[in-house]
Amino acid sequence: MKRTIFSNQLLPWLLLAPQLAITFIFFLWPAGQAIWQSFLREDAFGIKTSFVGLANFRALVDSPEYMNSLQVTAVFAVSVTLLSMGVSLLMAVSVDRMLRSSRIYTTLLVWPYAVAPAVAGILWWFIFNPTIGVLPYALDLIGYDWNHIQNPNQAMGLVVIASAWKQISYNFLFFVAGLQAIPASLREAAAIDGAGPIRRFFDITFPLLSPTTFFLLVVNIVYAMFDTFGVIDATTEGGPAQATNIMVYKVYFDGFVGQNIGSSAAQSVVLMLLVIALTVVQFRWVEKKVEY
Amino acid sequence: MASITLDNVGKVYPGGTRAIGDVNIQIADGEFIVLVGPSGCGKSTLLRMVAGLETITDGEIRIGDKVVNKVEPADRDIAMVFQNYALYPHMSVRQNLAYGLKNRRTPKAEIDRRVNDAAEILQIGQFLDRKPRALSGGQRQRVAMGRAIVREPAAFLFDEPLSNLDAKLRVTMRLEIKELQKRLGTTSLYVTHDQLEAMTLADRLVVLNAGRIEQIGTPLEVYRKPASTFVAGFIGSPAMNLIDARAVPYLPGTAHAGTVGIRPEDLTVAADGPIEMQVQAVEELGAQRLVHGHTAGEAITITMPPTAPLSDTLRLTAAQDKLHLFDRQSGARIE
Ligand SMILES: Nc1ncnc2c1ncn2[C@@H]1O[C@H](COP(=O)(O)OP(=O)(O)OP(=O)(O)O)[C@@H](O)[C@H]1O
Ligand SMILES: [Mg+2]
Repeated sequence: MKRTIFSNQLLPWLLLAPQLAITFIFFLWPAGQAIWQSFLREDAFGIKTSFVGLANFRALVDSPEYMNSLQVTAVFAVSVTLLSMGVSLLMAVSVDRMLRSSRIYTTLLVWPYAVAPAVAGILWWFIFNPTIGVLPYALDLIGYDWNHIQNPNQAMGLVVIASAWKQISYNFLFFVAGLQAIPASLREAAAIDGAGPIRRFFDITFPLLSPTTFFLLVVNIVYAMFDTFGVIDATTEGGPAQATNIMVYKVYFDGFVGQNIGSSAAQSVVLMLLVIALTVVQFRWVEKKVEY
Repeated sequence: MASITLDNVGKVYPGGTRAIGDVNIQIADGEFIVLVGPSGCGKSTLLRMVAGLETITDGEIRIGDKVVNKVEPADRDIAMVFQNYALYPHMSVRQNLAYGLKNRRTPKAEIDRRVNDAAEILQIGQFLDRKPRALSGGQRQRVAMGRAIVREPAAFLFDEPLSNLDAKLRVTMRLEIKELQKRLGTTSLYVTHDQLEAMTLADRLVVLNAGRIEQIGTPLEVYRKPASTFVAGFIGSPAMNLIDARAVPYLPGTAHAGTVGIRPEDLTVAADGPIEMQVQAVEELGAQRLVHGHTAGEAITITMPPTAPLSDTLRLTAAQDKLHLFDRQSGARIE
């Protein structure tokens, strides 16, 4: 690494100042505030605020609603991650061979694959809408009653599909890049060694793709847990009957709608710890475990 | 063990590039054939067609008596050594060697026996539990060879297996491959662009140029009687002098030829020699000396003992039977 020696002690700090200021104003300050508020409780009228120690956290542990939210979040995050990664890996594998044979069209071919899911994401809301949507209408024709406003499983299905769909193009691009980085000769050697296409995929391609897969796994879990607020808010609003009330949505709902700032802050501290844990796992594993 | 036959084989890539045109080769059982030619002449393409990694657009390839045009690589009973070795990076050396046998449901004891035998032959026993990235280039090369020999296939296919090694290691490995092939007696098809490697390894050489065969023959046949100006210039180092016949009309028997070929070592200095050479540059190689110059505008190179006297002009002579005559238009050899 190249080292630059500053003779002036002030200059490096001046250069760093804008970045530090942004980090402080938009991250450290609100985070600190959330931690502080998680130890406070307002009275019912929002007039008096008192320090309650870990009571907010204890209340969370005792709350069946919060436990339900944890469970919903786990189901949701796992489903979104598996679905979006599974579909994009399938797409990437089928495109990979095409890309290898004709190099010129590489970028051109990737485009529609990358853009289509993003466009379609907007369409989901219309497609699934119980009153004006195409899908409920079509399902109704074959005798299936689609109504995610009332049916918890269907609601979960809807938010999982809509959230997964948004990630597919991202995952797809990473998987394609990962696949292209595996030398064709390895698969050819395996073909000569008597491994059929499926065997080749599981014995050679998939293990060699594991750094990409692991990276995407963490990215997708983080996305599903923290970045799907918009999808939930636009479609189910956590309902019906808390069936899609994932942790990040509950933070918003309890804080802004329910006005229970103390509990909401405690919940966001829990989320913060989860992000930190995932980041640690990411760095530890990417450097140590997932190598060959 | 098996013979390999290529009958009027041709290859056009999907883009329309014709890589191979009308190639005929009969490889006998146990023979070591080297495909040699300049970069881009289609050597890898031809080898990969035999391996089943490229489709065959014209003609027929047979391994043994079986036409394999439509047969999957796995079912051709061949093993291939790749230029980049293509070792499975996430498997240990042992797993790399065993993979092909495992896929063919070879019994465990048999796999162990063959892997250990191969490890012993190639002296890679102490690396069996390492991953390929913990091996040197030469050791990886051996593992790649090992993966081929444990399979005990009907034929070995090599695509420039030594080109990633340093010059010294290349010479050792070259000898080892030759010795191993003799010991196992497995039919081998070996691709290289290095004519020295080709000469030393081959039972017979196939010289390829722009997707077509220029000549097939033993190394000495090809060296002594190159079939065309292309082969004459490609095989032998330093390369044969190819001189326009009009520049040397005084040489006997060259009247009807277009090009006269004389190997540098066949040109000797003689006070009454008919060829007058203007010396331009001298390269000392230690054991011998290369002298570059020209005669009547045609570039020529000769080899000399390092102690022989030098001057600005040298008079040279060449024995009649050392002259190679080629047709002006086709470049083909004239007997
Ligand atoms: N997949 C492909 N699609 C189209 N053309 C190809 C393809 N692979 C090779 N070619 C062309 O076919 C010709 C022969 O290529 P090939 O790789 O067989 O040469 P080579 O003799 O092995 O060369 P080198 O010594 O550089 O490895 C070249 O002109 C090359 O550009
Ligand atoms: Mg090649």
